[in-house]
Amino acid sequence: MELRLAAAVAAGKATTWASRRLGLGAGSNFPGKVMLRLHPRAPEEMAARLPRGCVLVSGTNGKTTTSNLLAAMLREGGMSPVHNRVGANLVTGITAALAQASDLAGNPRGDIGLFEVDEATLPAAVTRLRPRLVIITNLFRDQLDRYGELETLARKMDGALGTLSPDAKVLLNADDPLVASLGKESPASLYYYGIECEEVTEASLRHAADSKHCRTCRTALSFSAHYFGHMGKYFCPRCGSSRPETHFSAVRVRPRGTAGSEVSLSTPRWEADLDLGLPGIYNVHNLLAAAGGACLLGLGREEVTRGVAGYATAFGRGERIPVDGRELFLVLSKNPTGFNEVIRTLKGEGTGLVVLAALNDRIADGRDVSWIWDVDFEELAPLPRHLVATGTRAYDMALRMKYAGLDPSRLEVHGDLKGALRAALERAREGETVYALTTYTATLDLRRLLSRLGAAPALWEGN
Amino acid sequence: MKGLDLRICHLYPELMNIYGDRGNVIALVRRCAWRGIEVTVGALSLGDPLDPGRYDLYFIGGGQDREQMLVCEDLSTEKGEALREAVEGGAALLSICGGYQLLGKSFLTWTGEYLPGISLFDVETVGGDTRFIGNVAVRCELEGAEGVLVGFENHSGRTRLGPGCRPLGRVLSGHGNNGEDGTEGCVYRKAVGTYLHGSLLPKNPRLADWLILNALRRRHDLEGLPPLDDSLEQAAHGAALALVRRERRLPARAARKRSP
Repeated sequence: MELRLAAAVAAGKATTWASRRLGLGAGSNFPGKVMLRLHPRAPEEMAARLPRGCVLVSGTNGKTTTSNLLAAMLREGGMSPVHNRVGANLVTGITAALAQASDLAGNPRGDIGLFEVDEATLPAAVTRLRPRLVIITNLFRDQLDRYGELETLARKMDGALGTLSPDAKVLLNADDPLVASLGKESPASLYYYGIECEEVTEASLRHAADSKHCRTCRTALSFSAHYFGHMGKYFCPRCGSSRPETHFSAVRVRPRGTAGSEVSLSTPRWEADLDLGLPGIYNVHNLLAAAGGACLLGLGREEVTRGVAGYATAFGRGERIPVDGRELFLVLSKNPTGFNEVIRTLKGEGTGLVVLAALNDRIADGRDVSWIWDVDFEELAPLPRHLVATGTRAYDMALRMKYAGLDPSRLEVHGDLKGALRAALERAREGETVYALTTYTATLDLRRLLSRLGAAPALWEGN
Repeated sequence: MKGLDLRICHLYPELMNIYGDRGNVIALVRRCAWRGIEVTVGALSLGDPLDPGRYDLYFIGGGQDREQMLVCEDLSTEKGEALREAVEGGAALLSICGGYQLLGKSFLTWTGEYLPGISLFDVETVGGDTRFIGNVAVRCELEGAEGVLVGFENHSGRTRLGPGCRPLGRVLSGHGNNGEDGTEGCVYRKAVGTYLHGSLLPKNPRLADWLILNALRRRHDLEGLPPLDDSLEQAAHGAALALVRRERRLPARAARKRSP
């Protein structure tokens, strides 16, 4: 068995190295595939060798940002996390990350595993990695063609949480009715995080909101406060079930546009004022998930505060990259809620913007692009003076903008990304920002293109 | 088109709105507005009464199982009867996926739940153990909207048509109603049921205009609609069709040939 693991690890390392050399990308999934073929129990065996165990971060949005924030905090606490950083969150990506962080015998060089896992992969990851902590950020309609419907997904996640050991912990987002309903049958202890200040609320539920009905009795939930998507403070008028009490909360949030927010964080032991360099209310939730996770892993106020302060942006989640004397503001926008939040943030940037919108329909994006009709592009339409649509579904993107009310004379379609990037940069003035809104694989493509142009460090050089 | 007005009713917009189906309403509204047709959209949800004389065009989208059951219950009252009456009275209707299923005679889910429909369409649906997922091309047989429809299907229901309605079209690529008989969707009077998401109407403007024209004819006397500049719509339609061809290696000619 030892030899078999060593062979798998060697193969994993070699394929990762080769795929980087050949410029095939960050090499995150393919090496894992090779390893699992050679040794199907490789992740179990490597994970069991992590002295501080494993943490899983799952949910639709915010996995990467949450786990990167948490990793920064863990490092401040003197731990050395093994982390699948580039958002390759299927079992293959986790396996490859373990191999990369191991010596040739398969002994990890870190002491704690920190893995973001795809919502649909959670059951398999729980079985294989026996986590001590599971964090679930939110559940939105994302790639339903791949995951099935939300309720089915929630049932599977419930099943997975039911197999945790009694000393494990689960940290759930109280503001998401569906997430807050999870884990009721789990032997693990449940903890909750949420926003407790109501200044950040939105007037009404948007159509991209998904879980608006009580999971127990199906009655429409009443919201007393509403943050974004279906996030808020809610209760069921029929059966009385309501948002759980939070252990970790934001008691004050002051948004500062694309520059981030000031957040007052409250935990059972301490409070702190944090300067979060990530824009949008959704990133306040990511901060709460990470800080709550850090506390449940035994870290204190100092580590959390320093971790947030020293945090480098997650790949594609609001990076600013200088190109050609212009600045590219790169935001991953992969589903209706994520996109609506990005649009809400862009509204703070004024009008007359140059926007690059890249829509792909590869498997990791979801083959169905119908979801763009759930995004409130009507609110984006007044902002651009010029919008370049690109990606494998460039015309769908352009058509969506036309029907959102953007004058077709402001619209340009470029199937190839390089042409699209050039067109957008040409439209921008010296020193001006180009806003790139890109789906998952389009973000990868754009990053790869930028690093080829010498504008951005390659992905695996780390954030 | 001065003096023309269209009243759209969006049924259960907050419950039946999966996979961007609201894009169909957006397309209808814009295409009316661009022609100077005054358009209003009313939303009717659980418990709201439906006045069959009020609206010209009804829309109901797809929904998740839970939502579908709530709507099924709501339609089993006189509301379902009123919707049938509206269609008999000349109103146009578009229903997608879960909405389409509920307007048929019945839907027996894979888990054994029986959902009675309102029998507007002579179709019956039975849940299957696998989902039909993917890009679809359909040769549309609707008179006045002939051509190829493109969309995306994602359903486990297998729908079979009875003699009381005809198919919307024949599948060129994809599964359609049941993956077996080559039909997709159904048509009864001016009511259309289909499995196609996408959203359907933005990339298929002829079908959108067919619905608008027929809905307007309920209260207005008119020959046809003035054309719009659909170059972007056609480019998006062409790109989607090219994608289907690449996926299924469908010969370029088959999409144009008339079906037997």
